[in-house]
Amino acid sequence: MNVAALVFLVLGAVFNIMGNLGVLIFPDVYTRLQASSTCSTTSVLSFFIGCMLIAGWGPMTGRLLVITIFFFITNPIAAHIIARFARQTGIVPWRQSFRKDPESGEQDG
Amino acid sequence: MDVRTRWAAVRFTITFLSLLGGWLLFTWSLDVGSVLAGIASSLLVSALTYSFFIDETEAGRRAHLPRVHVFLLFVCLLVFNMYVASFRVLWKIVKGDINPRVVHFRTRLKTDIARVALTSSITLTPGTITLDLTEDHLIVHWLDAQTTHSRYAGELIKGMYEKLLKRVWL
Amino acid sequence: MLVYAMYFLVISILVSMARVVIGPTVADRMVGLNLVTAQTLALLVVISVSKERLILLDVALVYDIFGFVGILVMTRYFSGRRGEL
Repeated sequence: MNVAALVFLVLGAVFNIMGNLGVLIFPDVYTRLQASSTCSTTSVLSFFIGCMLIAGWGPMTGRLLVITIFFFITNPIAAHIIARFARQTGIVPWRQSFRKDPESGEQDG
Repeated sequence: MDVRTRWAAVRFTITFLSLLGGWLLFTWSLDVGSVLAGIASSLLVSALTYSFFIDETEAGRRAHLPRVHVFLLFVCLLVFNMYVASFRVLWKIVKGDINPRVVHFRTRLKTDIARVALTSSITLTPGTITLDLTEDHLIVHWLDAQTTHSRYAGELIKGMYEKLLKRVWL
Repeated sequence: MLVYAMYFLVISILVSMARVVIGPTVADRMVGLNLVTAQTLALLVVISVSKERLILLDVALVYDIFGFVGILVMTRYFSGRRGEL
């Protein structure tokens, strides 16, 4: 039980670091939203599963379950609201032009 | 009994049951006082809001009660796909080669709640985000586009979700 | 190990506040704000499980609701259209 919780917490930490890095280095709103969706959905879900495994069976499990279900409903809708707002504001999605060298993507942003 | 009255009663019952389920999960106790307070407040709230929760012109009660076993299978597939796609996006962040495109396609689902579930599961899977949904026309931003052809892109993105959701709701 | 998760989440929230500060458009700032909201929710849940306080889970649920409503209200305010949901 403890080892499984540790595995989920480490997984959440790795996704969290990578999501933050993606939000910082990606070139425009939509791609940043993709990285943020990775980070905020998968990493927070991993933290929740780890906390559920640690808390065990009791009155905490029901509330954690309610919070997880609510997070699962609201988070994609919030991401969709932001994407729709960006599209209605008129932000053009970034597209990859002719690539000179393969490493040029990392310096963007 | 009028058909409108019966449909209102069905809507009231669905709202009441979902509210009471949320109450029981959140308090996690079976005391008499707690359950009575939950029933009373659920009755009050569902009497006030059942006409917003389910619209009067919806198709029927099968459109709102999911088949439970298919729904659990769908949630398991969704969580598994989330982890796999997260590793793929993580590898793209490390390497830095992305090819984002905007693709359009249509869905074959009929009811509103099934369309919303399809949209949410597309957004929950990292790598794809739904930009807009009007009737049955979806606009999706795809991080690693392999094609811009409408039908192939639709098959690659919605794939399994649509087949399962068609069996969950109606 | 929950203590390390708490420290990690606090530092990660501080890092992701950078996008809120330097974002060139409004939508960029909202992406950062959504990220901060989700991580604060995880931080509240981790603190609650680690200290065995049930009341913080109620706070976490209400925080999630207000974060969602806040994003909704901000998009409505900045897009300047009224009367349509």
